[in-house]
Amino acid sequence: MISQIFILSSKGDHLIYKDFRGEESKDSISVFYEMVTALSGDQPPVVMSHKGLHFIHVRQGGLYWVASTKTNPSPFTIIEFLNRLAALTKDYCGSLSEKSVRMNFALIYELLDEMVVNDFGYIQTTSTDILKNFIQTEAVSSKPFSLFDLSNVGLFGAETQQSKVAPSVAASRPIMSSRGEQGGKNEIFVDVIERLSVVIGSKGVLMKADIQGEIRIKCFLPTCSEMRIGLNEELSIGKSQLKGYSSAVRVDECRFHQAVKLDEFDTFRILKVCPSQGEQTVMQYQLCDELPCAPPFQLFPSVEKDYVNRSVNLSMVLIFLKLRCDLPPKRSVFILHTSITPLPLSILYSMSQELSSPDQTAELQPKNKALLWEIPRFPGGAQLSALFKVDVPGLSSASLLEVGPVSMSFELPKQTCTGLQIRFLRLSPTQTGLSQRWVRYVTHSDSYTIRI
Amino acid sequence: MEWASQLCENRGLGSKMTDSKYFTTTKKGEIFELKAELNSDKKEKKKEAVKKVIASMTVGKDVSALFPDVVNCMQTDNLELKKLVYLYLMNYAKSQPDMAIMAVNTFVKDCEDPNPLIRALAVRTMGCIRVDKITEYLCEPLRKCLKDEDPYVRKTAAVCVAKLHDINAQLVEDQGFLDTLKDLISDSNPMVVANAVAALSEIAESHPNSNLLDLNPQTINKLLTALNECTEWGQIFILDCLANYMPRDDRESQSICERVTPRLSHANSAVVLSAVKVLMKFMEMLPKDLDYYGTLLKKLAPPLVTLLSAEPELQYVALRNINLIVQKRPEILKHEMKVFFVKYNDPIYVKLEKLDIMIRLASQANIAQVLAELKEYATEVDVDFVRKAVRAIGRCAIKVEQSAERCVSTLLDLIQTKVNYVVQEAIVVIKDIFRKYPNKYESVIATLCENLDSLDEPEARAAMIWIVGEYAERIDNADELLESFLEGFHDESTQVQLQLLTAIVKLFLKKPTETQELVQQVLSLATQDSDNPDLRDRGYIYWRLLSTDPVAAKEVVLAEKPLISEETDLIEPTLLEELICHIGTLASVYHKPPSAFVEGSRGVQHKRIPARAGSGESAESSDVGQSGPSEAPPAVIPSQGDLLGDLLNLDLAPPTATVPSVQPSMQMGAMDLLGGGLDSLMGDESDTLGGDIGGSPSMGAGLGVAPAAMPTALGIAPAVGGGLGDLFDLGGGVGMPTGSYVAPKTVWLPAMKAKGLEISGTFARRGGIIQMDLTLTNKAMSVMTDFAIQFNRNSFGLAPAGPLQVLTPLSPNQTIDVSLPLSTSGPVMKMEPLNNLQVAVKNNIDVFYFSCQYPLSLIFVEDGKMERQVFLATWKDIPNDNEAQFQIKDIHLNSDAASNKLQGSNIFTIAKRTVEGQDMLYQSVKLTNGIWVLAEMRIQTGNPNYTEMELSIKCRAPEVCQFVFLCYELVLKN
Repeated sequence: MISQIFILSSKGDHLIYKDFRGEESKDSISVFYEMVTALSGDQPPVVMSHKGLHFIHVRQGGLYWVASTKTNPSPFTIIEFLNRLAALTKDYCGSLSEKSVRMNFALIYELLDEMVVNDFGYIQTTSTDILKNFIQTEAVSSKPFSLFDLSNVGLFGAETQQSKVAPSVAASRPIMSSRGEQGGKNEIFVDVIERLSVVIGSKGVLMKADIQGEIRIKCFLPTCSEMRIGLNEELSIGKSQLKGYSSAVRVDECRFHQAVKLDEFDTFRILKVCPSQGEQTVMQYQLCDELPCAPPFQLFPSVEKDYVNRSVNLSMVLIFLKLRCDLPPKRSVFILHTSITPLPLSILYSMSQELSSPDQTAELQPKNKALLWEIPRFPGGAQLSALFKVDVPGLSSASLLEVGPVSMSFELPKQTCTGLQIRFLRLSPTQTGLSQRWVRYVTHSDSYTIRI
Repeated sequence: MEWASQLCENRGLGSKMTDSKYFTTTKKGEIFELKAELNSDKKEKKKEAVKKVIASMTVGKDVSALFPDVVNCMQTDNLELKKLVYLYLMNYAKSQPDMAIMAVNTFVKDCEDPNPLIRALAVRTMGCIRVDKITEYLCEPLRKCLKDEDPYVRKTAAVCVAKLHDINAQLVEDQGFLDTLKDLISDSNPMVVANAVAALSEIAESHPNSNLLDLNPQTINKLLTALNECTEWGQIFILDCLANYMPRDDRESQSICERVTPRLSHANSAVVLSAVKVLMKFMEMLPKDLDYYGTLLKKLAPPLVTLLSAEPELQYVALRNINLIVQKRPEILKHEMKVFFVKYNDPIYVKLEKLDIMIRLASQANIAQVLAELKEYATEVDVDFVRKAVRAIGRCAIKVEQSAERCVSTLLDLIQTKVNYVVQEAIVVIKDIFRKYPNKYESVIATLCENLDSLDEPEARAAMIWIVGEYAERIDNADELLESFLEGFHDESTQVQLQLLTAIVKLFLKKPTETQELVQQVLSLATQDSDNPDLRDRGYIYWRLLSTDPVAAKEVVLAEKPLISEETDLIEPTLLEELICHIGTLASVYHKPPSAFVEGSRGVQHKRIPARAGSGESAESSDVGQSGPSEAPPAVIPSQGDLLGDLLNLDLAPPTATVPSVQPSMQMGAMDLLGGGLDSLMGDESDTLGGDIGGSPSMGAGLGVAPAAMPTALGIAPAVGGGLGDLFDLGGGVGMPTGSYVAPKTVWLPAMKAKGLEISGTFARRGGIIQMDLTLTNKAMSVMTDFAIQFNRNSFGLAPAGPLQVLTPLSPNQTIDVSLPLSTSGPVMKMEPLNNLQVAVKNNIDVFYFSCQYPLSLIFVEDGKMERQVFLATWKDIPNDNEAQFQIKDIHLNSDAASNKLQGSNIFTIAKRTVEGQDMLYQSVKLTNGIWVLAEMRIQTGNPNYTEMELSIKCRAPEVCQFVFLCYELVLKN
């Protein structure tokens, strides 16, 4: 049972404050802010308590979204709710920032009232479908939607790499914008996003691999009775099912949004959903341990110790990395960060490097004991190599054991690692002409580690 | 995009003004301006004005002066404006209650509005205005709204009942809202059901004994149906409510599980976790050999794994819960070890939790994999994490015996890296491995010794010194090594100093010839140059031991050490049981019971896992020991036989100088007229009388006659008032316990066994205070001082509430009576028999152990009188299997006398009935840990000289029945 909800800017300004149960005073806001800013790195920030009051918060859009409680509720519920509140705010206001929250405070209060029915902190609903019946205030958009913005819809530009969540840029405008007038387009975006975590052992053995995937819809259609999303027909679910010789697409487990109707899923792999306006995740799935394809990168490292001058024990570490991209030749990878941590650095060091092409860069970050190698574009099937010489005085051969794993982060556009595809996307009844449908695929690296 | 919006505003493209401007101005006379705008005729202007007011309110400005003007805006048909006004009202009604009354009429009118949105809004807002005056007006509209045709209004009204209950509980009961709320559980709209359940659950929490949420198979069925239809948040309410239900049998349990299982694939992780909670609880009832049980176990794993794909915050919460689940049922996730492998980009708090779970899941089957991982972690950058990883390797070695060798070689590899903190941690854990597997891995000592110089942390230094001392005979230059440490003795931390002292003494005992000088040096350093009492004491002990009896010294110092086990970091089973019932809540994140962090009575209810039907495990899981709130952090659980180890931790602190609660001299509370206090009244004779009336041997004979002469009134008289009568009785030569019956003292610890200290004692409960009355007699030739007492964990958490107050030394042949107040908040462990208490008493001579048994009436609390209705319902509710029948013969009491007598021991008679010449008494007893015991007593009337009583006792924890019966017998026969 939520006692209070408040939204703070990163500087601690009060943007929204709502008390549901009259148990606590407004002072708790500053108490919270003091606590959260004083938190040290290794303390879990999720739940904090102060004199019997418990704060649960998430950070989204640079803001603190905080709920406080005096009872023993489920932190899951509250975190989910806060995330949902942030998502809804984004849906309604177009984007998530201090500015948009400030501009739409009345709307957010109203949203809160309806979501929690300001009722004693019981969460009621977070579905836009239901909410739109009650919400009266109109959103004020900080960024008027214009045709220019459509350039962002162009599939994954370089900036999406930074924002981890690819599709959000595509459609940052309020879902309910300008009631009455025909604003925006009747568009619907369907994104298949996969996150890949891989651990490859020092001998090149695949030690662990898993994929977390989700299908997301962002819908701008004012009314849409039913949408049918067809997935690969040969999709199989669960570990136990026998695999045939065909290239079946398999996932271990999936979860669905509760609005999804699954009556055609078992036989035809069709998801039926009446998307409400805004963003929602219709399906989440995961695959553990068995990748259907080889991992996208192979690394052949060698780390050696060499002497510059043996007599004064001036030694250096030679690191030679050969990296091969195992994707089909037509595909390529955007921005690949490769980093090695830790390196046995002492106070004095210097590095020389030999990279295979001029657009790559390499950098030594002594603070993190890290070596960073950046490759802006990496075509499938290609092989790149780099040689680093790091001078480290007084290096013992044992400290080579310390040279840590190589981790990579990257984005593979237009493909999924599981092979999950959307066969078709049908709206019924067919919308009048204007509706546009976008289907996009992307795979991110969540954690891709190669041990040396 | 800043420019874009400006551009847009400049051009007038953005026809609407943005709200943010409201935040900017702080002009003088603002309130005045707003007032004018609020009274404007134009609706738009009014709306803008109210928005400004609310903006000011949000940033904390006081705009309460505008109250009447804002309220005036309320009568409008513009819904947006109305909502804004309501928002304002809620904020200020509390500080302006009289003004709020002004708005009541509009509220009442709005409750009749044709638009359901407005009806709901009105009733909702009225509930939020926490002003007592408004509640009177709220009743009628609320009653209507609870029966409204529109579900949106009904669900809002349902929650409103909970709000009203919070303000004025009596009113809600009087108005019969609770019954209406119960009816709403069968509502056709699932959202209404969910809210009704949520409201009822909350109300029920503040009234633990009311049968508000009277769940039966029919209502459960309704809830399960609603579960499939309502929103995700509603599902959470319903699932949490289901988790409180106790299924009647395993079949019902299975059918509920079957219907809850689909929730596991819900996208909302809160729903998933609530479902997991229900399943974990009800699984307990399923027989393990059932096919379904296996299926369920398999089904639980994937959703738990999926939770780990969420944001770090959710991951952390999930991991804390998984940590509990893994301790309860490791089989669920035993194949999922890889999921808990750490990713390099996990936040540190997630990494540490994962590490912990990895160790819990480690077994012979996967240990190779785990070790390989841990070794990788040990070379990461983050120092904290690396340390934990190295420790984890040690814990693996201790947990999985087969892996010990591999762990040791991994640790040696790590030591080779020479990374300072890795080496230190490795040495600390290797010490533990030596303790666990003595005489097995000593070959590595040489490698350890090479790193002596690099150790700069006290813990690592102490560990290394311990190793050197322990294996001094195998290290050729042990004396040199230790000597090198000795140079900076005074700069070391206490931990290291103590360890060094012990190690050198060990060395001396092993190689006496070469090290005499060294040992003298360290002893003088410790005893003469140190101001640390621990160090000095230890130094003196060794010194005397060595000088008086070197053989004994060898036995003491080189004694065999108790083995360590991997169980040290597990959560206590009783706490774990309770936490399992709170999966998915804050309790599961803190790993503390809710009572430890939720204020007030709410949440203090202890939940427990249902017992498995007809299985050997039931006794364990329905442990009576699930008692009082144990606020202690999860601690080491000794196995039951481990008393010695536990008591060795005896708190050796000297008695503090606080005001003694009970003491043989003049200080005495009114409560204590019976106890030591009497001594002072009776002067020197008290010695022969033995202090405590009940306990005195010379009074014992008189006591036997006492009950017959007992005035009935006295039994009910409060303990304090009884004091006078007591004294009076004493004059007559008969001791009369006012409150409960106190058994005569018995010898608990004979002098033979305790080097001359004889302890006899008994237990008493006086005016709600539990006391242990002890008589200490010194039968030795020397003076005894420094008494201290400690209890082992016991079934009801009895623990001394203060130190043992023996302030003056006990000279030979002296006897002293001490009354030790006890609390029931100590650590809990089920004992065999249930009322067994193991005690350690220490004095300047030694530590002595004895065990005694206390009458269960000791923990019958004073407020144990149950409401009649509650009694009836509870009696029915407890399954008949839990009923136990007893007979008490040879009682010469009629029913009134009996019930009076029993009342003195806090056994309360709730009702009396006479059927066919038999008196039936219905009685209730409440134990300190909240367990209720109900009893039905049948007494043959007519013949007062010879009565046979039949007693049937019912309790949710059937183990206690036997002991309750013994109390009856004891009380009635004495």
